[in-house]
Amino acid sequence: MVQFTRRQTLAGAAGLAGMIGLGVRPAGAAELSAYEKALYEKAKPEGELTWYSGQLNAETSEAVGRAFTERFPGVKVNVVRSTSQVAFQRLSQDMRAGAVQCDVFASTVSGHFSLLKRKKELTQFRPQSADGLIDMLKVADPDNYYQSAYMGLYLLAYNTSKVKAEDAPKVWTDVLDPKWKDQLAVGHPGYSGAIGVWAVQMRKMYGWDYFTKLERNKPLIGRSSQDPVTALNAGERSVGLAVPVGTTLLSASRGNPIKLIYPTDGTLATAAPAAIIAKAPHPNAAKLFMEYITSPYYSAVISKYFNESLRADVPSAAGAEPLDKVKLIAPTEEEAEKQVPQVREAWRDTFGV
Amino acid sequence: MSQLQALARAPARAGVLTRLRYLEPVTLLWAALAVALVFLVGAPMLKLLIISFEDGETGRFTLANYAIAYGRARYLEALGNSLMLGTASAAIATVLAVPMAWAMSRTDMPGKGFTWAMVLGAFVMPPYLGAIAWILLAGPNSGFINRAWVWLTGAEGHLVNVYSFTGLAVVIALHSFPLVFIFVKSALDLVSSEMEDAANILGANTRQTMRKVTLPLVGPAIIAGFIVIFLETIALFGTPAILGIPARFNVVTTQLWQFFEYPTRVEVAAAYAMPLLGITVLLIVVQKLMLSRKGFVSQTGKGGERRMIALGRMRWVAFGWCAAIGSLSVLLPLLVLLQASFAKAWGRGFSLSNLTLRNYYYLIFEHEMALQSIWNTLWFSAAAATLAAVLALFVAYVSHRKLVPFAEVLGFFAMAPFVIPGIVMAIGFYAAYAAPPLALYGTAALVILAFTARFLPIAYANAHAAVRSVHPEMEEAARILGCGRGRAILAVTAPLIRRSLLGGWLIVFIVASRELSAAIFLVGPQTRTMSVLLYDLSEAGNFEVLAAFGGILLAITLVLVVIGMKLAGRDFMLRRN
Repeated sequence: MVQFTRRQTLAGAAGLAGMIGLGVRPAGAAELSAYEKALYEKAKPEGELTWYSGQLNAETSEAVGRAFTERFPGVKVNVVRSTSQVAFQRLSQDMRAGAVQCDVFASTVSGHFSLLKRKKELTQFRPQSADGLIDMLKVADPDNYYQSAYMGLYLLAYNTSKVKAEDAPKVWTDVLDPKWKDQLAVGHPGYSGAIGVWAVQMRKMYGWDYFTKLERNKPLIGRSSQDPVTALNAGERSVGLAVPVGTTLLSASRGNPIKLIYPTDGTLATAAPAAIIAKAPHPNAAKLFMEYITSPYYSAVISKYFNESLRADVPSAAGAEPLDKVKLIAPTEEEAEKQVPQVREAWRDTFGV
Repeated sequence: MSQLQALARAPARAGVLTRLRYLEPVTLLWAALAVALVFLVGAPMLKLLIISFEDGETGRFTLANYAIAYGRARYLEALGNSLMLGTASAAIATVLAVPMAWAMSRTDMPGKGFTWAMVLGAFVMPPYLGAIAWILLAGPNSGFINRAWVWLTGAEGHLVNVYSFTGLAVVIALHSFPLVFIFVKSALDLVSSEMEDAANILGANTRQTMRKVTLPLVGPAIIAGFIVIFLETIALFGTPAILGIPARFNVVTTQLWQFFEYPTRVEVAAAYAMPLLGITVLLIVVQKLMLSRKGFVSQTGKGGERRMIALGRMRWVAFGWCAAIGSLSVLLPLLVLLQASFAKAWGRGFSLSNLTLRNYYYLIFEHEMALQSIWNTLWFSAAAATLAAVLALFVAYVSHRKLVPFAEVLGFFAMAPFVIPGIVMAIGFYAAYAAPPLALYGTAALVILAFTARFLPIAYANAHAAVRSVHPEMEEAARILGCGRGRAILAVTAPLIRRSLLGGWLIVFIVASRELSAAIFLVGPQTRTMSVLLYDLSEAGNFEVLAAFGGILLAITLVLVVIGMKLAGRDFMLRRN
C-alpha cells in the first residue's frame, strides 16, 4: 500500500480526477500491492462482509459496495443502510441476541465507538492507507479500534423557487424567526445520529431554548437528516435544518430547486469513524474493507456523490465550499457520547415525538 | 418361582404392546401438533410474560420494567393515542364501508364489478404504501390535492393535511375498510327480502326499513368489523412511523420501537406490550358476550327470496359514493405512486422531460438488496403459507372429527394468534428464539416461523370451514371398503377441499408478503423482506426510488392475485364462511 500511495502521489490528483470524471473505476487485482494481496487472499474464502452504513446515503453506500467488489472480485458487501441510531439499534439487538451479523459498523455518532470500545466489542486494526488521510482524520483512535470513515458537513438549505437568496437564513438562529412558521424541516435525533450531534452543538451554543423556540415554528420532523431534502424538493417546506451536503448537492445536480447555506456561525462537521466488530463473522473481509475505506478509491467514489473526500490526494466534490474556507463547529467526542442520549430525550419532551 | 414371575410379567408387557398396537397414529399426530403449536404460539407468549418480570442483567424477578414502561407521561399518552386512533379509524372505516356493502348487496347500483375491484385493491395495497402515496397527495403544501385546491380556489393554505391525527386516521381507514365491507356484505347477503317486505307492508319506506330492519340484522357483523379494524389499527407500525412522527403523534407501536433503541430493553417492551394484549383479549370477549345475547336468526333454511331494491336515480348517488372511496383508497394513490416512480423529481409533476426509468433501473440493477429482498419475501411467504396451511389442516381435521380427547384445545391454540398484535408476537419471538440455545436471529427460519404463527388463524379458519363442508360419511365409505384413514383422507377428503385450501394458502401468502410489523424486529441483514426494505427506503430522502420499489411490490402482488383468481375462484380473497 505504501508503494501504491507513492505511485498515486506521482500520478497526481489530476490523473485520479480524470479517472473519476470518466466514470472508470480503479481496475482490479493486477494493481494490488503485496500487502493488499495478502489481505485479499485471506478475505476471499470468507466471500462477503456486512456493512452497517449510517453515514453515507443509500445510493452512495450501494455504489461503495459495488466499487469494492469490482476491486476485490469474490468479496461481496452486504450493504445495510439506515440512519445511525437505527444502525446502532440493530447492532445492539444483534449483540443482545448473541448473534452478531455486522462486520463493519459505521455511524455518524462518534460516541457509539468510544462506548463499543469500552465494552470490548471492537477489533484493533490499523489500515496502512490510514496514513494517507488528511491530518485531522489521520488518528481517530490512538489505540486503533476505529478509523475515520466519514467527514460530514451539516448545514442549512433552502428551496430556491420559494425563497429568495437574500431572504434565506444566514445563521442557525435566523430560523427561529416567526416568519418561518410551517416552513422548516428537520430530522430526528432518535433516528439520525447527525441530528443528535447537531442538537448537542446547538444546545452548547444557544441553550435548549433554541429548540423550544424552534418548536413554535412547527418544523416538519422526519427521521433521517436527509428527509428535509425530500420536503424541500417537493416544495413542502422552504428551509431545511442540518441537512447533509452530499444528499443536497446530489439532489440539486438532478435539477431540484435546492441550494446550500453555510451558516456564518458555523457549519457542523462530524468526523465519524468505522470499526470492525469484535465478533465479526467475516474478520478478514472486514479488514480488507477498512483498508479500502481509508484508501483513495473509497474517497473517489464518495466524492462523486458529493461527500467530503477523506484524503488530500482526492479532490472534493464540485459545488461544495473547500473545507479551509468554512467555519467548522463540532462537539467533542466525549460530549457527543454523553449528551446525544440526553438531547434525544429532551427532544421527545419538547416536540412530543 | 422365577418362572412364575416371568409368567406374571409377560401379560403385562403384552398389555403395553397391545395398547401401543391399538394406539391410532392420530394420537401421535395430536402430540406432534401440540408440540408445534406450543412452539409457535405458547412458548413465545409465555416467554414474553416471563421476561416482563425479569431484570435484563440478572434475570431476577422485578417489577421495575412495568415501572419504567408506565412511569412517564409520554408513554401513557402514547397508549391513549393508540386507543383514540383505533376508535377513529374503525369509525371512519365503518361509515365508509356499510353503505357500500348495502349498495352492493341489496340494490341495483350500477358498476358493481368496478366497486368489487376497488375493494379488492384497497385490501391488497399494503397500508404503509398507502401512507407514502398520501404524503404525495395530501402533504399540506406540496400534495397534489392541496395544490389543485389552491389553484382552483385561489385560497391560502391547505385543504387537507396528511400529517395530522385526522390524516392518520383517514389513511388507515381507507386501507382497512374492506374488512368491514366483507363482514357486512356477507351478513346482508343472508337477509331475505321478506323481512324488508314485512316492514314495507306495514308502511315503512326504504330508508326506515333499512334503519329499523336491515341494519339491526347485520349489527353483529358491523360490530365485528369495527372491532377487527380497531385491533388492526392499534397494532399497526408502518403508517404511524411514516406519518405519525411529522404529525407529532406517538403511539404504542412506535413507542415499542423506542424501547429497542440502545440499550435494547426487551423486558420493558414486553411489559409495555401487555395492555395491547389485554385490550385485544377484552374486546374479543366483549364481542362474544354482545353477540351471544342478540340472536338474530336471519338464516332459516327456508330459502327466502332476495330481490334487489330499485334505487331509481339514487343509484347513481350510491355509485358515486363507492367510486369516491375507490378513488381515494386505490386509484389516486396508485396514480401518484406511479408518477413518482417514473419521475426524476416528483415535485415537478407530470411532464415528458421529467420521465425516467432510472429509479427502476437503480433498484433492479444497482441496489444490492432490492432483488434479494423480493426473493426473500416470496419464499418466506410461500414457506409460511405452506406451514400454516398444513398445520391448520391437521388441527382442523383432528378437532373437527374429534379423533382424540381435548382436540378443541388445539383449535383454540391455532386461533390464539388472532388476539396477538403482530409487533407483540415479534417481540415474543425475539425474546424466545433469537438468542441461544436456538440462536435463530438473522436466519430465515425465525421470520418464517413468526409469519406462520401470525397467520395461522387465517389458515385455520379457512381449513376448518373446508373440513366442515365434507361430511364424514364419504370417508367412512372409503374406510368400509378397506382404506386406512391416511388413504381415505388422501383419496377422498383432500380432493374435495383442495380448492378452498388453495384459496387459504394464497391469502396467507399475500398478507405475509406485505407484513411489516412482525418482520421489523426479526430480520437480519440478509433476511430483509420487501416491506422492511421499503421502510428503510422511506427515510433515505428519495421518494422516487421509494415509489418505484412500491410499484414493484404492487406488480408482484397483482400477479399473485390474478393467479389466485385463476386457481381458486374470483372471490377467493373476500370469501367468508
